[in-house]
This record gives sequence, structure tokens and C-alpha cells, in this order.
Amino acid sequence: MLDAIYKILAFFTSDATADRWFEQIYDNFIKDDRWTWLMKGLWVTIRLTFFAFIFGFLLGLIIAIIRVSHDKRVVMPRQSFLQRLGGIILSILNTICKIYLNIIQGTPTIVQIMIIYFVILASSTNKIGVAILGFTINSSAYVAEIIRGGINGVDQGQMEAGRSLGFGYIPTMIFIIIPQALKSALPALCNELVVLLKETSVASMVALQDLLAAAMLIRGRTANAFLPLIAAAIIYFVIVSILRAVSARLERRLNSGDR
Amino acid sequence: MTDNKTPLIRVENLTKQFSTTTALDNISNNIYNGEVVVVIGPSGSGKSTFLRCLNLLEVPTDGRIYFEGTDITDPHNNINKHRQKMGMVFQQFNLFPHMTILRNLTIGPMKLLKKSKEEAEKKALELLDRVGLADRADSYPNQLSGGQKQRVAIVRALCMEPDVMLFDEPTSALDPEMVGEVLDVMKMLAKNNMTMVVVTHEMGFAREVGSRVIFMEKGKIIEENEPKEFFENPKSERLKNFLNVVL
Repeated sequence: MLDAIYKILAFFTSDATADRWFEQIYDNFIKDDRWTWLMKGLWVTIRLTFFAFIFGFLLGLIIAIIRVSHDKRVVMPRQSFLQRLGGIILSILNTICKIYLNIIQGTPTIVQIMIIYFVILASSTNKIGVAILGFTINSSAYVAEIIRGGINGVDQGQMEAGRSLGFGYIPTMIFIIIPQALKSALPALCNELVVLLKETSVASMVALQDLLAAAMLIRGRTANAFLPLIAAAIIYFVIVSILRAVSARLERRLNSGDR
Repeated sequence: MTDNKTPLIRVENLTKQFSTTTALDNISNNIYNGEVVVVIGPSGSGKSTFLRCLNLLEVPTDGRIYFEGTDITDPHNNINKHRQKMGMVFQQFNLFPHMTILRNLTIGPMKLLKKSKEEAEKKALELLDRVGLADRADSYPNQLSGGQKQRVAIVRALCMEPDVMLFDEPTSALDPEMVGEVLDVMKMLAKNNMTMVVVTHEMGFAREVGSRVIFMEKGKIIEENEPKEFFENPKSERLKNFLNVVL
């Protein structure tokens, strides 16, 4: 035990260590411009996260609105044909959404990505497109639940006030309910973005050259796992920290306006 | 606009059932142009439900409601169009917290009445000035007191240029010292011949401003009369008891 501690201390303090560090850093990052591999990987990760989040957000928003509209629907004693038809369509959509949410939230992300990559879209050569689709589907399920919570948190009187002015259900949603719902859901949405960024590292398992894959590529060349993986971890950490700081600022700014 | 003979709102056999209780039990009543109808009654009497049925915020279980001659309970009629003509003021104000006061007042006229921004803002500021809040146009609702919020809420409804104003206990959520400023605005409206239906506990307002007072209990209209008779010479035992308690 003591022997092991001594060895570690000696390793970090000897002159030879310093030289070895420089050598390894050179090997892993500078030789053959290997740091640019990491940057390329990072760019893939950022693009993947960005598009998956935007599309996932939009899909999640639609799902949330369908779920809420169904749950809060007031059934009139007398209905026109269109109202009855609308009710049936809404019920069908709601059932589809519920099944979708259950499946997506009830299976591991990596399994979803692999199914999409190897089974459903096996013939596609657009790797990043496939990955964006996979993570869009995955993220939309979580975003839908976040936004649904936000909508349900808006005071019932807001809907009544909108409707009493003469706004229809959907305009009231768009102008009055959704802005308030998104505001209260903002912290959870930012958190989902952070989770998504980290989760995209799974894409390296389906041969997408993201940040983690780039680190693994360097490891393959240099037979050194420590430095490239630490480098990847640091980059993830820095990006997440930036996102957190931006979201905290955004929240403060929005809260200064009201409530 | 309707003349004074045909009612502005005609309520026929209105019934509202919640899962276990009957909130409104076969109510019929007419509300005429220029009337200020004050609805009073103990809590749970159905008076708020009655008011909320008038613009279908509460969906009646049975019965018909005609507004300006149109059966608004008919699902083929566009209720959104008719609601534009029925302003509503809530107990909890329900201003839109994410918009400035001015935006609260102009969003309806701009999106629904297709008014230009300038036109809508001009009208909003004019009305805001009349309730003494012109300087708060750029504030957010949470920066106002309860009484100010309610005055803004009244103006928001007025900006739609309604034919009738529905008030659902407009002063019940206010601190006592703010009740007066809201009632003053309502009196001003009454003086300008606005048709109003007011659910309230303010007996003074009913007596002073009302042109007709309705007493409800257990989902039924027990008694209605012009204010003087109503308060000084109640007919039914139940109204006598109620007035004894509240006056």
C-alpha cells in the first residue's frame, strides 16, 4: 500500500515525468494535428445537440399541446359534426402520443439510437442526419412532459380570460398560455439541453465521429486512453458550464419582468 | 344593437349540473339593454355559475341562452365572435402576467378586431386615463395593487367595445381600502348606460347602482325586484333571512 503511494508520488515529482508528459501531450494532441480531430468531433457534437434539441422541442411542444388539450377538453352536451369529429381525432392523437411517450421513456437511449441506426435507417449514409433523428425522438418525449407540466402550471384563469375576450382555444394557447408555460419550464428545458449534450456521446457507438469518437480515435493511434478521454471530458464540462451560465442568466432576466 | 323591448340576453330553462350537485336549476331570465342586474345570494347558490354560463365559460347542461337574438348554446354558432361582445371581469383579475398593461389592453382589439396598433393603443390609453392609470401603461401586472389590477381588467374588457359587461365578484379578492376605487369605475360604466350583470356581495352597490337585483339560492332565482323594493320590502322568507345576516 505504502509502496503504491510512494510510486505515484515519485511518478509525479520526478524530472523524467515532466518530459514524459510533454511527450504524451505532443503525441496525443499535436502530432498529425490530432487536436483538430477533437475540434471536428466537437463540431459534430454541437450540431447534433443543436438540431436534435430544436426539433425535439418542436415535436415535444406539439405532443404536450395534444395531451393537455385532450385532458382539459370540455365536452358540450350538444355538439356539431365538426366538434364531434375533432374530439375523435384528438382522442386518437392523444392515444398515439401516450404510447409514444411510454415507449421512448421506457427504453434506453442507446437502444433507441442503435435501432434507428442499424435497423430502421440502415441504408442511410447521412450519419449525422440519422443521429439527429434519433435524438430528436428521444428528446421530444422528455420535452413533452416538461412543457405539459408547464402548461398545467399556468393558472386556469388565464385560459378563461383569453377565451372571454373572444380568443379561440388555439390562439389563447399561443398568445397567453404557452409563453407563460415555457417561462416556468425554462430551467427544466435548459437541463434537458445539458442532458442531451452529454447523451449525444452515445452516438459514438454508431460510428458517428463526435467528440467522444474523436477521443477514442486518438486513443487507437497512441495507445493512451487517459489524455484524450480527459480532454474530451474537459470539453464536455466546459460546454455544459457555459450552457448552465447562459440559462441562469436568461432565467434572471425573464424573472425581472414579472412575478 | 337591440331595441329596449327585446332582451339583450335571454336565458331559457338554464340548468347546470356538476357531477354530484345541481348548480343551476331551470333558470329563465331576461337582461335588457342598459340594465344593471346585480345577482346576490349565499355562497354555493349558483350565482357565479349563472354568470359564467352567460358567455359559456361554464357549459350549460341544458337550456338555451340567446345573446342579441342568437342562440349561443347552439354549437353551430361561433361563440368566440359573441364573446367579443361580452366583456368579463374576474374575481382574480386574470391579467396576463407576461405582458405590459398596454399589451394586455391591446392584444384583443389588435388580434380579434383587427385594429391597428396605433388605434388600439390610443383607445387603451384613453380608457386607462379615465380610470386614473394612464401612467401605468408600461408596467407589468405584478407591479400594480389589487385595485389597480382590477381597474385594468375592466379596461381590458372595455377595449373590446362590448355590449354587455359581466362581473364575477369583482371586489371579493380586494383589500377593503381598494374596493371603492373599483366600484367607482363600475358606477361610471353604469352611468354611461353600459349593460351590466354583476355578481357581488356589495349590497351598497346593488342598492345604489342596480336597476334590478336578483336573489339566488340553491340554483334557483328566489326573488327579483328593483333595488328599493328588494331591500326594503323583501317578500320571501329566505331573502329576509339573508338580508338580516348581510346588512
